[in-house]
Amino acid sequence: MNSTWQAEIGAVFRKELKTELRTKSGLFSSGLFSIIAVIAVALAGYGERIDPTMGAGLFWVTLLFSAMISLPRAFVSEEEAGTGDQLRLLARPHAVFWGKALFNMLLMAATSVVLSVMFVVFTNLKVDHLLLFALSLAGGCVALAISVTLCGALVAQATNRSALAGVIGIPLLLPFVAMGVGALRVSLGSGSVNSGLISCGGLYAFALLMGAAAPNLYAAIWKG
Amino acid sequence: MRWILFILILGATFATFWVPDAASFQHPELARIIFFHLPCAISTPLFLFFGSYLGLRYLRSKDKQWEIRSVAANEIGYVLALLTMATGMLFSKTQWGAWWQWDPRQTSFLLVLLLYAAYFALRMSFTDEKKRADVCAAYSCISAIPAFFLIFIFPRIPYIVQISFHPSNTIITGGFDRAYSIILSTLFVLILVLCSWIYKLSVRAGLLDLRVSELYGNMETDGSGPAPTGVVRPISLSDKS
Repeated sequence: MNSTWQAEIGAVFRKELKTELRTKSGLFSSGLFSIIAVIAVALAGYGERIDPTMGAGLFWVTLLFSAMISLPRAFVSEEEAGTGDQLRLLARPHAVFWGKALFNMLLMAATSVVLSVMFVVFTNLKVDHLLLFALSLAGGCVALAISVTLCGALVAQATNRSALAGVIGIPLLLPFVAMGVGALRVSLGSGSVNSGLISCGGLYAFALLMGAAAPNLYAAIWKG
Repeated sequence: MRWILFILILGATFATFWVPDAASFQHPELARIIFFHLPCAISTPLFLFFGSYLGLRYLRSKDKQWEIRSVAANEIGYVLALLTMATGMLFSKTQWGAWWQWDPRQTSFLLVLLLYAAYFALRMSFTDEKKRADVCAAYSCISAIPAFFLIFIFPRIPYIVQISFHPSNTIITGGFDRAYSIILSTLFVLILVLCSWIYKLSVRAGLLDLRVSELYGNMETDGSGPAPTGVVRPISLSDKS
């Protein structure tokens, strides 16, 4: 293998992007799920104003489930199409992981933008601290993308992979969602800014830990 | 040895009824479940993180014995977590009036339970043993990150400490009298010894199972006889006799 890390990561990322642009299934399904979930939440509220803490909780649960719907596809589709072995021959495991995780981050960023706009429009919630809102969302997208990419890789060869990705991914991400809610509720005007910043710091720490552990664990199971 | 352990646990259990009530609880006479709840709660992370460490050793060496050890530790950790949850719910009912309070500590332990339930769900979803061992070891390692947060960091966040009913530092701050502390410590050590003994038995059974499957594999591939029928012969028989 003479290619550099960057070239390999870039190649995997471009492959994912081209595949997505050809089918648009991941972006469409997670985007549509976000829209449906927000409308369902607004309907369930029966026109009542949702308080910031409840709103932040609903937002993060929606984001988590839309990630669980679209992101594990990155590895599952390789196994279904029978291209997993070819990928094993052509690229280093860390490069494959980061290529797919970067693409998932992009997908997650697009989904979170759609979700944020829909959420603010339909629930009439006001964003008091825009910077904290953007920071928590950015950290959330990174951590979600890395964690769910690993979950997708773990379940790719399992017998009931589509259900299993959620079963193993959601418990793994629930503490992280709690931190996300802690940061978002402050940005929506509930609680002290200090506690919001601490929660936001927790999000980035979680993303960092996942980013350090996930590619190495993926590399350990890669050739199997 | 096991009889001595059995007698000691029995003696310590009787002693929990003899010791004077701990005055720091709302209903001191009903708080004795703490003698079993606390040792289980402290032992749970020991076994779960030990399981993650052994999973990591398996991923580094790919030696199946580490996977057997990791599964055994996770199984015992999970049983201890279930016992912690059950005894905690009893404590919640007697002291706080409801089986479930959404107390942050109860909730974080519930999430740990879900995390490791997912580990066993993952184990059941692979037919290929090698793949199952690899994937489950990796999941055991990655789940140590949120488990560490849920067990050690989340319950100690100042805001969580304020809103939690859970008595957090009763032992550290000397909330129990001497007799209470001695019996609690004794039970903790005995439960730890009991679990370690079960762990050793489980590992031994797993290693024997591995040995048998290796031998069974050899018998199947050895020789050029007819296709295996599912019947394992203890000795090799010649087809030409």
